[in-house]
Amino acid sequence: MTQEATRVAPATATSTSTRRRGKVGQETTNWPLMVVLFLCALTVLLPLYVTISMSMKSSAQSVDGNALSLPAPVDLSGFARAWELTNFPVAFTITTLVTLATVVGTVLLASLASYAIVRNWERRLFRWSFFYLLAAMFVPFTVIALPQIQLTGLVGLANPVGVTILHIMFQLSFSILLFTAFLRSIPLELEESARIDGATTWQTFWQLIFPLLAPMSATVAIFAFLASWNDFMMPSLIIADASQQTIPVVQNIFQTQFSSNYNVSFASYLMAMAPAIVVYIFTQRWVMEGVTQGAVKG
Amino acid sequence: MLHRKSLLSRVSMTVAAVLGTSIALTGCSAIGGGGPTEITFHMSKPEAIGFFRDLTAQFNEEQSDVHVTLDTASNLSAGFLRGDPPDVGLLNYNMEMSRFMERGALSDLSDMPEAARIRPDVQELADQYSTYPGRTSVLPYSVAAASVIYNVQMFEDNGLDVPETWDELIAICETLQDAGITPIYSTFSEPWTIAQGLFDYTAGGSVDVADFFDQMNELGTEVGPESAVSFEKNFTEPVEKMMELAAYTNDDAASRSYGDGNVAFAKGEAAMLMQGPWALGEIAKTDEDLELGTFPLPATDDPNDLKVRVNLDLALWVPEIGDAQEASREFVSYLMQQDVMDEYNAQFLGFGTTTDAAPAEDERILGMQEYYNDGRFYLGPSQRVHLSIPTANYVQAIATGADIDSTLSRLDADWARLALRE
Amino acid sequence: MTTPTIPAAAATGSLLGNAERGPTDHLAGAPSRRGKAKTDPVYYLFLIPTLILFTLAITLPAILGIFYSFTNFIGFGDWELVGFTNYIAVFSDPAILSSYLFTFGFSIVTVLIVNAIAFLLAVALTSRIRLKAPLRAIFVIPMVISGIVIAFVFKYLFSNSLPALGAATGIPWLQESILANENLAWIGIVIVTAWQSIPGALLIYIAGLLSIPGEVYEAADIDGASTWVRLRSITLPLVAGYVLINIILGFKGYLNAYDIIVGLTAGGPGTATRSIAMTIFTGFTGGDYAYQMANATMFFIIAVLISILQLRISRGKAALS
Repeated sequence: MTQEATRVAPATATSTSTRRRGKVGQETTNWPLMVVLFLCALTVLLPLYVTISMSMKSSAQSVDGNALSLPAPVDLSGFARAWELTNFPVAFTITTLVTLATVVGTVLLASLASYAIVRNWERRLFRWSFFYLLAAMFVPFTVIALPQIQLTGLVGLANPVGVTILHIMFQLSFSILLFTAFLRSIPLELEESARIDGATTWQTFWQLIFPLLAPMSATVAIFAFLASWNDFMMPSLIIADASQQTIPVVQNIFQTQFSSNYNVSFASYLMAMAPAIVVYIFTQRWVMEGVTQGAVKG
Repeated sequence: MLHRKSLLSRVSMTVAAVLGTSIALTGCSAIGGGGPTEITFHMSKPEAIGFFRDLTAQFNEEQSDVHVTLDTASNLSAGFLRGDPPDVGLLNYNMEMSRFMERGALSDLSDMPEAARIRPDVQELADQYSTYPGRTSVLPYSVAAASVIYNVQMFEDNGLDVPETWDELIAICETLQDAGITPIYSTFSEPWTIAQGLFDYTAGGSVDVADFFDQMNELGTEVGPESAVSFEKNFTEPVEKMMELAAYTNDDAASRSYGDGNVAFAKGEAAMLMQGPWALGEIAKTDEDLELGTFPLPATDDPNDLKVRVNLDLALWVPEIGDAQEASREFVSYLMQQDVMDEYNAQFLGFGTTTDAAPAEDERILGMQEYYNDGRFYLGPSQRVHLSIPTANYVQAIATGADIDSTLSRLDADWARLALRE
Repeated sequence: MTTPTIPAAAATGSLLGNAERGPTDHLAGAPSRRGKAKTDPVYYLFLIPTLILFTLAITLPAILGIFYSFTNFIGFGDWELVGFTNYIAVFSDPAILSSYLFTFGFSIVTVLIVNAIAFLLAVALTSRIRLKAPLRAIFVIPMVISGIVIAFVFKYLFSNSLPALGAATGIPWLQESILANENLAWIGIVIVTAWQSIPGALLIYIAGLLSIPGEVYEAADIDGASTWVRLRSITLPLVAGYVLINIILGFKGYLNAYDIIVGLTAGGPGTATRSIAMTIFTGFTGGDYAYQMANATMFFIIAVLISILQLRISRGKAALS
């Protein structure tokens, strides 16, 4: 019931609002409100503007304290310096791989486990596993970080692979919650007919269930992406070799080395922000729907 | 009582068994097969990374038995916790390292010929932190002597001489201020810059640091308002002096960072800067020709009390648990070659730690040479407090307006509490 | 750390839903058909590896950490069991107590500000305006930006641009960076945290507002209710559930504040802005493994208590509706 309500929410929502607007009258746009909203939007855009303009200034201009001025002349040497200094291509590759593996791993492990749990709910092992896996929502990383440093070190996982595994583990609870709720809404008849045709559990999952889970997988993937791409705390503590660090940690490591070369530091910030923003621009509808759906569940 | 380590080893075996595949995929590149022995070398002093990167590359090129990888940013506590610390460490020696040393984390290097070359009074500096019975765990590599950096031109223009007493120092500040020059440039936004600068200079210049901390360690949990020595009792006066000097700093000190300070000082925005020799190189990046000198901050009215603040800017150690001891020692010997050390010290304005070290030649630090030769130096008191007590932050708080007495008594309380659970 | 916390906390809101709904759904649903038939072993293959990995990655460290909190382990070498010594020390340590005070104070203020702004923005974005889609897209951008990176940008604005502006305009209070002031630095952290976490709350409020049927407002229009009255007595009660979700979500996330503080103040000036997470990690770097594990264990207990409280509140809410 819940997930259906939320899933249709955007659709009904637009129709209600159109209905409402229709009644009140199309022409009465609230202009004062628009002005306020534009001002608010400016507070979002201003730091981004400063980042972009600072990154394109020359070293001399970047220290004049005027953050709002346009770069004159445009000087892109900051990017070259930052690219080289932070070894950006390596950090970018590592962060991308960690994020992709986290997204794929989370979707796969959580959907498989959820399917097993939902279809075997009457068995104690599966039922208890559900609550066991969910309990991790009470455990912030802060609490178990130190032993995790110790254990990942002992088993040779003090590297991006270890971070990926931990990212997946921390995403599990929430993802399983979403998947199990969704799976319960899938009518069993669909599955029965597949089974009558002789499909095994394995085949049923991959050919029937997994494709049906796609919208929920997208939501789970978006959360996993945001959590993994931007994470600072975990990689900074878990990854032993600084040359294998992810982008947010690299920014922190080099923050002192940028010293007062603001054009270089802002070029570096921009390179760190840009990938996620670009991904967002192309997927914004899914991101917004996914976040809404994920958060409003229940 | 539980059998030590058995829990951990059992845990690690289980984990290792289950995660076997991923280990095979990722770790343990050093194990197995021919090729050189791989060791990691931790050196995180930002200014010197380039120097040691070149040196490491040179070492790797010259021989084929050992391959050294430079590690410039890993967390040492985490490294030891993982059971995978770097094979050779060359870094600032402080309470953090000494705590690991105390528990036997660092191997004995006393049988290396290099150990015999260290000046005894310098080796004693390392021992002030703590010792491990029967071991020489740490080889001092470079001593940074820190004092007041001053703009020679500005002093000359205003007819000022290097001060030898507290009153002279204050008079200089007054003169400069009257001439419209900011006497001291401070960068309070970074706690370490006040702790190692103003705080250490005023406190170290008037308190017998080694003796004070001996007594504090002796007292342990008894440190408090009633104890014979305490921060509140012995440091209030120097800290008040620190604040007296802080009044002569730039108005925006609270929001300036270390980097800002170097740039501003290079541009002639102030006459004095309380920084170590590491800052001299940074200042030169902005203005290569600026004429600079150094003098120990006079914290009393007796010129005989003049001393410079030193710290073991770089010290070498090899962890006990490293699995490539021979290779690590070979690299230590390489680093300890006298000409390598001399070159480092010349380039980074440090003082040699060995009996046969070349004297400093750079005039920016010549002012401190005689003090160093005569052993008239002290370890910065801020360096002597355990890192889990945020000393530098407390000092920063005082500098930006917190109450002196209550902050120092809080430091005392922290000291006693730490002693309780040691 | 803001983004990952959204899901974790969001989900707890619905934990109750599943926990209650789950069993009944299932007794009535799928399994009954196949009755007591033997479970296909493939299901174990789907679940068991994940369970094992989870146990090793989450449960084992938790147990190990709690165990070490009763020792004097510094992160290396020998250790001994010391009973409750660490816990006693934790309770009397002003540094730790003030980090709890700071973290809770900061969390409460941030929750209030974030929810007030997000709610008003959501109302604005669902009212009679143009350019809804692009505006909404802009407001969501901060959600995808790394906390520490944006903190660096704001740090520059706070300590360089604003003071420069203050100097140029002669406004004295602008001339000193708020990050350099012990009593004001927390405001900077609240601003950046809010900047980054408003989008998440905003999206949830928009969903909430769009779920209110238009007829409700038409009735109010007939009664001639003012905008403010409408907002307070119709809109707010109808989205109360969403407010609750947002408050719980946000609060649990802010308790783990770390990234943004590292980027803005690193806990300073003095120790004015040290969060719990920061105290744990810096203490550990200083060789205080066991001691900080005692601190972490306390924090864990508090986190569980808050979660239980949250479950009870949402249970109460569920009972009402």
